Amino acid sequence: MQEATLSFKARAQEALADPTLKIAIDRTTGTAERKRAVAMTQFPQFEAARERGKRIKDHVIANLDHYLLEFERNAIASGAKVHWARTAEEASQIVVRLCKEAGAKRVTRVKSMLGEEIGLPHALDEAGIERVETDLAEHIVQLGGDRPSHIVWPSMHRTREQVSEMFKRLHRAPHQEETIEAMVDSARRELRDKFLTADVAISGANFLVADTGATCTVTNEGNAELTTTPPRVHIVTAGIEKLVPSTEHALLLLRLLVRSATGADVTQYTTFHCGPKQTGDRDGPEEFHIVLVDNGRTRMLREGMKDMLRCIRCGACMNHCVVFRQLGGHVYGGTYPGPMGAVLTPVFDGLESSRDLPHACTMNGKCQEVCPVAIPLPTLLRGWRDRSWREGLEPATVRFGLGIHTFVASRPRLYRLGTAIAIRVMRLFSRGGLVKGMPGLGAWTAYREFPAPAKRTFMEMYKDQEKGQ
Amino acid sequence: MSARETILNAVRSGLGNTAVDPAAVRRDADALLQDLPSIRPALLADGLVDAFIARVTSPKVAATAERIASASELPAAVGRYLEAFGLPAVVALQPAAPLQDLDWSGFELHDKVAPDEMIAIGVARWGIAETGSLVFHSGADTPILANFLPLHHLVMVRADTILPFLDDYAAATAGQRPPRNVNIVTGASGTTDIEGSLVLGAHGPRFLHVVIVGTPDSSE
Repeated sequence: MQEATLSFKARAQEALADPTLKIAIDRTTGTAERKRAVAMTQFPQFEAARERGKRIKDHVIANLDHYLLEFERNAIASGAKVHWARTAEEASQIVVRLCKEAGAKRVTRVKSMLGEEIGLPHALDEAGIERVETDLAEHIVQLGGDRPSHIVWPSMHRTREQVSEMFKRLHRAPHQEETIEAMVDSARRELRDKFLTADVAISGANFLVADTGATCTVTNEGNAELTTTPPRVHIVTAGIEKLVPSTEHALLLLRLLVRSATGADVTQYTTFHCGPKQTGDRDGPEEFHIVLVDNGRTRMLREGMKDMLRCIRCGACMNHCVVFRQLGGHVYGGTYPGPMGAVLTPVFDGLESSRDLPHACTMNGKCQEVCPVAIPLPTLLRGWRDRSWREGLEPATVRFGLGIHTFVASRPRLYRLGTAIAIRVMRLFSRGGLVKGMPGLGAWTAYREFPAPAKRTFMEMYKDQEKGQ
Repeated sequence: MSARETILNAVRSGLGNTAVDPAAVRRDADALLQDLPSIRPALLADGLVDAFIARVTSPKVAATAERIASASELPAAVGRYLEAFGLPAVVALQPAAPLQDLDWSGFELHDKVAPDEMIAIGVARWGIAETGSLVFHSGADTPILANFLPLHHLVMVRADTILPFLDDYAAATAGQRPPRNVNIVTGASGTTDIEGSLVLGAHGPRFLHVVIVGTPDSSE
């Protein structure tokens, strides 16, 4: 899932120059941050719950083969068919094949980041199958012909004005009133009959429950159940790290997931799907397929990235990331944006094409602090930086610059001389205590001022003080 | 080698090819469910029913609730609700005995929920005080779509089926054969997908009204 040919830096420039993007990002991430903070004050047991959540995920990963087999056994016993996919391509091929075997003309989809990761929207379009995204945000993304920019709010990059324009142009009976309520209603009308006339439903899973063989989806709109119930076939695609031992473990993690994602205590709809329709059931699909996807996860296990397999895809790390909140999600170029995306994209796309991502981080540690399963994201990002350096992927300019820095910094006299000159030169360019522009400092001063340095360096002042004593 | 074998082998080698003792895994998994009170949020009130109602009607869940002494009072409660909204007495009634057995004279009933159904009445198997949730199991008398298609969803739940916490539901059903769907429903359908602002009635119900019957120790 490569973004265009533009480099990360060029994409970042574009995003920073976009006048509406920053407004759109702030409206959503600001609300998410505030609501999460309130939820934390109402749940003082969060720290203990977080530690437990971390241990549950670690336990599953440490026994992943055991749980995969237990899940498979129970899923088959419930009437499900289980498929295994090594790669994104293999996973997409399985889903497309199942759709074709079902004679599917129209497929409804529940938002699933794994579906995006394996390129499912594209694969279905290529196969000529009509794909209907039913999550409101994914519906907006589909109408706009672009890509999700956040894992919880995929259309976060769109303002209400842009959404209104699209709905008016593309919906059969669009809203008349310029309110968000009226726009939501317009989407409700537009999608109603599509839910009920689809041939195949495709969803992801927030949890795979080993001791029942059930998959779990969480939504606030109710689109998951409206999607997965009417069609004859329901297909689930899920990463192998989504396993939990039991429903009880899943519900403990649910408390962490929802508070971290939206600040609510629980999603409006939490549904466990176990096998196809049972004898006597009034509704539900006749066929239920589960595709278990590796796509780099076993490599993460092997290559020291086990911690990242705890991720429950809540999006808190990006909502609290100073870089994400300036740039939005598209700049990251991969399926997953923000800090977790900067860790995952090099796994999926290779480090060579994504080596800028681990650098797009201030190391302020906020992501790790808010992560509901305590993933050491800054450490993992530093690991990628380290690897990029060792593999010689850093450009010559960076290597040269760091070489000079090393040379100077390891020679104290030279370093002191250099800094003494530098601060004096910088003061020549300062106005009112701020440097607003200076040759060689353009990359910094293009977007913000640089505070004017002190008159003398710390070492100069320190020496004087020593002499005075 | 099949994809299945490749993945399982890669998992095993990634974990250092250590032998798995299923009994030990089970013990570890159970240990992670110990001392649950230390990782649960507090309930909003002392009594289970009060805590449940407080949560259901809290701004976060934003549903409405009322109590009745016995199920026989449900049709009258539904009548009052419809009147308050100025809605006709035409309702989809879940084909479950506790509802079908009541006296619905004055109502026009059907059991198939239409795509644009205005009002549906259902019965939940459990309530959960922690979150104000209702739990449904799909089955012969519980169509899944009945919880999602109507605009107004009215749900009866017996006070003696209200459980304190989410994990109590899991413990209560552990070891049983799960239905096709377990639907845990908390409030009406909502979305925050346009600029993060909450709008109700996204695809599912816009209004959820919960009717609690009896008391926790009544055995109706």
